[in-house]
Amino acid sequence: MRHINTQLSRYGYILNLGVIGVLLAGILRVVFQLYADGLYPLASALSAITVFLALVYLRRRFTPLRWFAIGVGLAMLFTLYPILYTFYLSVTNMGSGHLMTKQQAIDRLENQLYMPEGGKTYGWTAFRSPDEAYALWLLPEEGPGLLARPGEPLEEAMPGADGIGAPDQDGIPLTIDGYERLAQNQVVPIISALGAIDFGEPPDTVRIRSLREAVTLKPKYRYDPDRDAMVDQETGTVYRPVEGTFTSDDGETLTPGYIVYVGLHHFERFLGNERFREPLIRIFLWNVSFALASVFLSFAVGLVVTLLFEGLPGSRLIRALLIIPWPIPVLVSILIWRSMLNPDLGFVAPLLESLFGSSPAWFQNAMWTRVAVILVNVWLSYPYFYVISAGAIRSIPHEIYDAAVVDGASAWGKFQHITLPLLLRILMPLLIASFTFNFNNFNVIYIFNFGLPPMPNTIVPMGQTDILISFVYRLAFITSNVTDYGLAAAITVMLFLLISLMVVFQARFTNLFREAD
Amino acid sequence: MEKTRNTPALRTGLLDQLRTGNWVGYLTRYLIAGILIVFAVAPALWIVSASLNPAKSLVGGTLWPENPSFVNYRELVTNDFFPYLTWFGNSLKIATITTLCTVTITCLAGYSLSRFRFKGRRSFMIAILILNVFPAILGMVAIFTTIQQLGLYVDALGLDKHVSLILIYTAGSMGINVLMVKAYIDTIPVELDESALVDGASPWQTFRHIILPIMTPIVITIGVLTFIAAYGDFVIARVLLKSSDQLTVMVGLMLFQTDRFDQDFGMITAGAVLAAIPVILIYIPLQRFVIDGLTAGSVKG
Repeated sequence: MRHINTQLSRYGYILNLGVIGVLLAGILRVVFQLYADGLYPLASALSAITVFLALVYLRRRFTPLRWFAIGVGLAMLFTLYPILYTFYLSVTNMGSGHLMTKQQAIDRLENQLYMPEGGKTYGWTAFRSPDEAYALWLLPEEGPGLLARPGEPLEEAMPGADGIGAPDQDGIPLTIDGYERLAQNQVVPIISALGAIDFGEPPDTVRIRSLREAVTLKPKYRYDPDRDAMVDQETGTVYRPVEGTFTSDDGETLTPGYIVYVGLHHFERFLGNERFREPLIRIFLWNVSFALASVFLSFAVGLVVTLLFEGLPGSRLIRALLIIPWPIPVLVSILIWRSMLNPDLGFVAPLLESLFGSSPAWFQNAMWTRVAVILVNVWLSYPYFYVISAGAIRSIPHEIYDAAVVDGASAWGKFQHITLPLLLRILMPLLIASFTFNFNNFNVIYIFNFGLPPMPNTIVPMGQTDILISFVYRLAFITSNVTDYGLAAAITVMLFLLISLMVVFQARFTNLFREAD
Repeated sequence: MEKTRNTPALRTGLLDQLRTGNWVGYLTRYLIAGILIVFAVAPALWIVSASLNPAKSLVGGTLWPENPSFVNYRELVTNDFFPYLTWFGNSLKIATITTLCTVTITCLAGYSLSRFRFKGRRSFMIAILILNVFPAILGMVAIFTTIQQLGLYVDALGLDKHVSLILIYTAGSMGINVLMVKAYIDTIPVELDESALVDGASPWQTFRHIILPIMTPIVITIGVLTFIAAYGDFVIARVLLKSSDQLTVMVGLMLFQTDRFDQDFGMITAGAVLAAIPVILIYIPLQRFVIDGLTAGSVKG
């Protein structure tokens, strides 16, 4: 097929080009904004995608890629980039209080306003629209009245024109189109809400100071590029950057802070500190045991289903019943188990109590929670192992067994010396993949018991049944007041490295790339 | 693949047993089967039974409710606390659109990779295989912060938006599926394409009218796998979606159960049963395609 013309049809090409053109224009606009705000990683990723798409659609030799360039672009953004970005995050301080770039933080700080002592003052009258939007009519000490709405520039307006009604004796319009004029007694109950609204647009922002007076606001902080510092316009205090936070000489800090490079700080935190390293190693060991036990037991049960009932009358019914867990969505299955083992609602606790006089604390005792999550995981996954080993067994040639029978091998002997070794060889890639999957089996751990019960006396919150990935989730999304994306990313980087090791291991058993031919 | 149901190894194994009159072994096997069946079936049976039980408390109840009714289901769709039907609709919508996008992209990509030779083709496939090794869940922190940043500039790609979820699922399910489609098209004789091309068809027409129609099995396999994965996803949806109306049924159920376990147990079990139904409905007639998909590349190779 080397010689064929790989063009899409003319119609398809034009359609494609149109879509791509619009897409590229859109992406480029976002890239510029991201760049201006200092979000360089995302800006670079989107630029790379733009260049890729442009190349594919402009250079003839990339024609075959036109068939799926958009898919590749998506994968670059949502599969490849997150991996690279995780590495980037792991050397930054991103987390609560440090969520934006320096530029974004400066912009945010420069938007904070204060009421200066000698600022320009106005008399004011409030107007309200039916959808609860407010406007102010401002009367300066001299000059014409101004109409002020939030987020819009102050408007010099003449009563009696442009939808503004006739003035009363003070020069305040009686009506404004779309608004209702509020009397003093209507204003009093809402004065604090009104006082929180910034009318007008920077630099002419007006806020209500009292029932009589509104005042022009000024930016509280200014960024001084020469000194690389924020200066408080009210007090003159200088805030200099210290590890992603503008800090004054007295140690006062401004929020929000911003993202800075912290090098290997996070890795030192958990590798260099005994009180962090030790529980993390415990999590790791449990993580490995959980994955091993899950794969081993599920595979064993799957094998039993495949082999033990072969030829037994009723084996088809037995298998049909045994495959029941398979189509049930994972989350639903885990919720079922969680309810079933619940001492107040499920049937397991009363049953065990009547049989043995007591029932384990499935959710409070770490050992029993571990037993439970492995049990649940086996329930979820043995049907898969049954299906794949049934498929693999059919591919074992008949003749091998004939020879064994001649040699007088027993059923167990045949299983031990022929079936199992051959199965293991055929299924090794799937078993390793399954180990990798279970090593990161967040769902079972988190949905069953959130990785709890908690580990006592740890520096950051950890659960006794946490695996590494659920610990990452805990750091990033659960511990609400101290979310720490940098640390979470650093642990994820360790996970990436561990999985890479597994891949190297897997590559020794299989021709990993044989599908790429 | 061999057609016989009984594998030779075990058929002989069983005959051995019968010949020697090994009834103990026979009974043991039934016993093990019985234990496994209880283990497999009890949870599923129990949840259905609990969802049909109108009583608020189940403790001490019989395995099958005395007066089964659908009152829990009715309460589930009419209650004021949790918009279950909205969640259900969200999940179906997200999973369906993801499936359509994934099938479209993978079919086109698979055809291109199978039929055209171009520079970087092999490296591209190796890149897919390598990326595919890392579970998508590892990217959750990065994906969350990326979507948070994107949302500041493109409204539809922000947190709490279904579009971002659909694009992430589509990107994630592309990789290995592309290779499956490619492997499938590899088994279609190139002569089919060539005769069409000789007759003056463009590659697009060849793909559309010759190849696509015979790709139905792989399209179904990928469609089913993608739908089930998108419908069943928990963590990405949990991380990205915030407001109650936007949640998927999996995330909603989880929050529902965490928040109101004791009060609304009947409703929760009904919700769990309903949530499982779409996937079960797909599995029963299309199981063969799921199995093909899951075992592809392992047994065949």
